[in-house]
Amino acid sequence: MATHPGEHHHPTPLQYVKIAILLAVLTIIEVALFYVNEAADMGGWDAPLLIILALFKFVIVVGWYMHLRFEDSTLSKFFTAGFILALILYAIVLLAFGVIALGS
Amino acid sequence: MEAAAAMDHHDQHESTGIDHRKLGMWVFLSSEFLFFGALITNYLLYQGQPGFARPYPAEIYDIPFTSFSSFALLMSSLTMVLAHNALARHDQHATRTWLLATAMLGSVFLGGQVFEFTEFVTVGGMKLTTNPAASAFYLLTGFHGFHVLLGVLMLLTLYGISRRQGELSEASGLNLELVGLYWHFVDIIWIVIFTVVYLLAGVPAGVG
Amino acid sequence: MTATAERRPATTIFRRPRSTTGFWAWITTADHKKIGIMYGYASFVFFLVGGLEALLLRIQLSSADNTFLTAAEYNAAFTMHGTTMVFLFVMPISAAFINYLLPLMIGARDVAFPRMNALSWWIFLFAGIFLYSVLIFSDPAAPAGVEGVSGNLDPADNTVLGGMPDGGWFGYQPNAGPFYSPGTAMDYWALGVQFLGLASLISSVNFIVTIFNMRALGMRLLRMPVFVWMSLVVALLLLFSLPIIAIALFMVTFDRQFGSLFFVAEAGGDPILWQHLFWLFGHPEVYILILPAMGIVSEVLPVFSKKPLFGYAAVVFAGAAIAFLGFGVWAHHMFASGISPVAQAAFGLSTMTIAVPTGVKIFNWMGTMWGGRLKFTTPMLFAIGFVAMFVIGGLSGVTHAVVPSDWQQTDTYYIVAHFHYVLFGGSVFGIFAGLYYWFPKMTGRLLNERLGKLNFWTMFTGFNLTFAPMHWLGLQGMVRRTAYYPPEAGFDFWNLVATVGSFIIAAGVLIFMFNWWRSKKHGDPSGIDPWDARTVEWTTPNPTPEYNFGVAPTVTSLDDFWYKKYEEDSEGRPVRRPEAEETLTDMMETGTNPPHPIHLPAPSYYPILLAAGIPLVGWGIIYHTSLVGKLLILIGVLVVASASFGWSMEPLEEPHDEHDHSESSGDGYSLPEVDA
Ligand code: HEM
Ligand SMILES: [Cu+2]
Repeated sequence: MATHPGEHHHPTPLQYVKIAILLAVLTIIEVALFYVNEAADMGGWDAPLLIILALFKFVIVVGWYMHLRFEDSTLSKFFTAGFILALILYAIVLLAFGVIALGS
Repeated sequence: MEAAAAMDHHDQHESTGIDHRKLGMWVFLSSEFLFFGALITNYLLYQGQPGFARPYPAEIYDIPFTSFSSFALLMSSLTMVLAHNALARHDQHATRTWLLATAMLGSVFLGGQVFEFTEFVTVGGMKLTTNPAASAFYLLTGFHGFHVLLGVLMLLTLYGISRRQGELSEASGLNLELVGLYWHFVDIIWIVIFTVVYLLAGVPAGVG
Repeated sequence: MTATAERRPATTIFRRPRSTTGFWAWITTADHKKIGIMYGYASFVFFLVGGLEALLLRIQLSSADNTFLTAAEYNAAFTMHGTTMVFLFVMPISAAFINYLLPLMIGARDVAFPRMNALSWWIFLFAGIFLYSVLIFSDPAAPAGVEGVSGNLDPADNTVLGGMPDGGWFGYQPNAGPFYSPGTAMDYWALGVQFLGLASLISSVNFIVTIFNMRALGMRLLRMPVFVWMSLVVALLLLFSLPIIAIALFMVTFDRQFGSLFFVAEAGGDPILWQHLFWLFGHPEVYILILPAMGIVSEVLPVFSKKPLFGYAAVVFAGAAIAFLGFGVWAHHMFASGISPVAQAAFGLSTMTIAVPTGVKIFNWMGTMWGGRLKFTTPMLFAIGFVAMFVIGGLSGVTHAVVPSDWQQTDTYYIVAHFHYVLFGGSVFGIFAGLYYWFPKMTGRLLNERLGKLNFWTMFTGFNLTFAPMHWLGLQGMVRRTAYYPPEAGFDFWNLVATVGSFIIAAGVLIFMFNWWRSKKHGDPSGIDPWDARTVEWTTPNPTPEYNFGVAPTVTSLDDFWYKKYEEDSEGRPVRRPEAEETLTDMMETGTNPPHPIHLPAPSYYPILLAAGIPLVGWGIIYHTSLVGKLLILIGVLVVASASFGWSMEPLEEPHDEHDHSESSGDGYSLPEVDA
């Protein structure tokens, strides 16, 4: 309890600002992708790209702003468990409805 | 989460070394994925079904506007983390400023949502009762907005306490961290919603 | 809301409650034992209510084309029977056990968030009252706010009983939606279950943090009693399954109150979505109902077999595996709902695999008894009854994991037989085992053994008479959820047997209540260790002192208490240590006169106050089109908000003199860290 592991590894304000700039740039790319796809159909390639970008932002906020990278692994285990469970369960539901499909 | 607030240290020890309330917050947040997951699933199921009364949500989205309010929410994560950082450096003044900035950005987002809903209903003609996709859209984004609202209220409470007492004590420091966790979580959920519900939304073939 | 003004307890709205006995002590308590006891009594009252509803159902079915109940009343009775037994009896009584025992079993003074714990309990109680307030307020007219709905109830059905929710505990859509269940009854159901879920969600976070963080020195995860493990698994199941039903219930409430179209098939809504969401929660839920009982049985069997639990680790991992797999089988409730053949095959298979960890547990329990010196006390009888009945229920479960076979069975009494063997023969027997076993912890007395055995045998006989015939009734084609069956079907005889059986069960419950009432005053004093037990909760006097332990325990092994009393001889047989009696006397002494002052969480008004706002919001939503409704919502929200505010300003413990610190710094409570 006395020593917080990783307390001193916390980023500095400057680093936080840099992270925010990165997040902003990613968001601009996202919106740009949306319009590119509107203008010239990307043949379905917009979806994976946009999802990867969103996941990237997600991981950055969780890892740095929420400090999960610097915390005890119990916390990240819970967090990932909830995330993965939700992903799997709801993916199966959407599969069952044919909203998403395996393969083709 | 606030229950163990001033738990005296004699009886408190943590087998994991993580503060009770912090552990509790993370545990709770992990279950929030299933809340929002159900709502998103619901939306994904209905947005693509043909044959509903028009309009579908994707027909009336205003992407530039939503991008702007999403951006405000994203940047509020920066101000939140700066508030936390300022408190760690015992800079009470900066803490207050960043707290207020976060609450403001959150309010910008909320105001944007109110505006968006009003536009959708009055100009776009899409009400909760128009079709299941519309119902799903409003429930999902409304539920998220409710989370933001709670967050803003918590931020303002912290701000008020800090104003009244002239500082945030050690115990409130943890509170600030917890509010921050909640706040960032609401933000990451919006990152997902923005992409999945707005940018990737489509209308079923034959519509629009 | 989350802020704490540690230095300014003066900012509290109320003066801090001070009573430690009497009415106000119970209202304001944050003590896990008092909360557990209140949970226990309240859920038992609901058990009686649910039981009465069951008797009504059985009377109606005792003969063909009976007219004891109208069809509407029958629907309402089975809906409220199921809802009550699941959400208002088995879940809260499990919460009662977990509340009372979990801190004791891990050697803690309370749960991690004592006031949150009180909050869960009060929300549960008010939600139960809210749900049953439908008896007074129910109104067969159309729910306000949805256009195009007119009440279609036969006015003759407009009776007190018939006005209760009638869409089944599973609330299938669109039947339970605004068009086919007009009136406000299903709104009470949807919101009532919603609030009950909220209470359980708060508890689940609380229990998880307690187990992770508050274990006694030396209590590693794999030294925790199985009951604690099962509590952890249940809490995880609750944590991840309740959000799903919460959203589904929100959708129902929105459909019914605000005209959204989630499940309105005419407008394109998909009722199958409800089934997915409900059973995504519903199957984990059945394990939520059984795992605490499995935990209880895993504590009782070793004690009365004088042997350690056979394969402790296997039992623990099987429990965890059940929880994990339990999330992947939900669609076995939907084999007849038109899901794809691939989905049917997949879910049929996953359902069969869940029988494997379940079977592992059964073999472990049998292995525990095998070669043991069995003592057939009442808790042991109930525990053995549990194992036997659960095997039957588990096997019939596997028969409907086979899809074509399930098509014959689904919606028949065969299913009713299955889930009563697991829920009554399983959960309820386990709960009774626990009540007999831990009664001394609460009262310092033993329940009467002769009455106890009578209790067991009446319930056991009544149970099998009631539910065994349902297997063959179901296979002969008797469908569930209907009030009538025709005389020419030939179902009369076994239905009559079942009805007789249900009254025998009722007699068993009455015997139990008499025993409880009498033994509380006149039962034999139990002493500190009436059963020659194995776990830490028995190292402190009975009834449990308010502070739980005079000195916080340290643990060096699984079944730590047992090894303080017994050692092994050269052939590995347990021999009582010569100093065992002295150890017990010492425990009695430190438990009665703690050597150091102990600080406990102080009572608080805020949990009950906060919880009181919630049903107000519920009523407000149901009547939201009227002024009264709007006012109720407003008042409810204000109550919740002001209670949260007062709460956040109130420290958990009363401030006390600094010098206590130095005195108690060397005691057992401010423990250093232990490895997880
Ligand atoms: C070996 C383990 C089990 C298996 C393989 C199993 C399988 C099944 C299946 C396939 C059904 C659906 C039948 C149908 O509706 O056509 C079912 C229904 C049910 N099961 Fe189980 N089950 C098992 C254990 C349990 C346990 C432990 C409980 C509760 C403590 C339970 C409670 C229920 C309930 C309440 C229903 C009926 C739900 C309803 O339609 O209202 N089951 N079971
Ligand atoms: Cu099931």
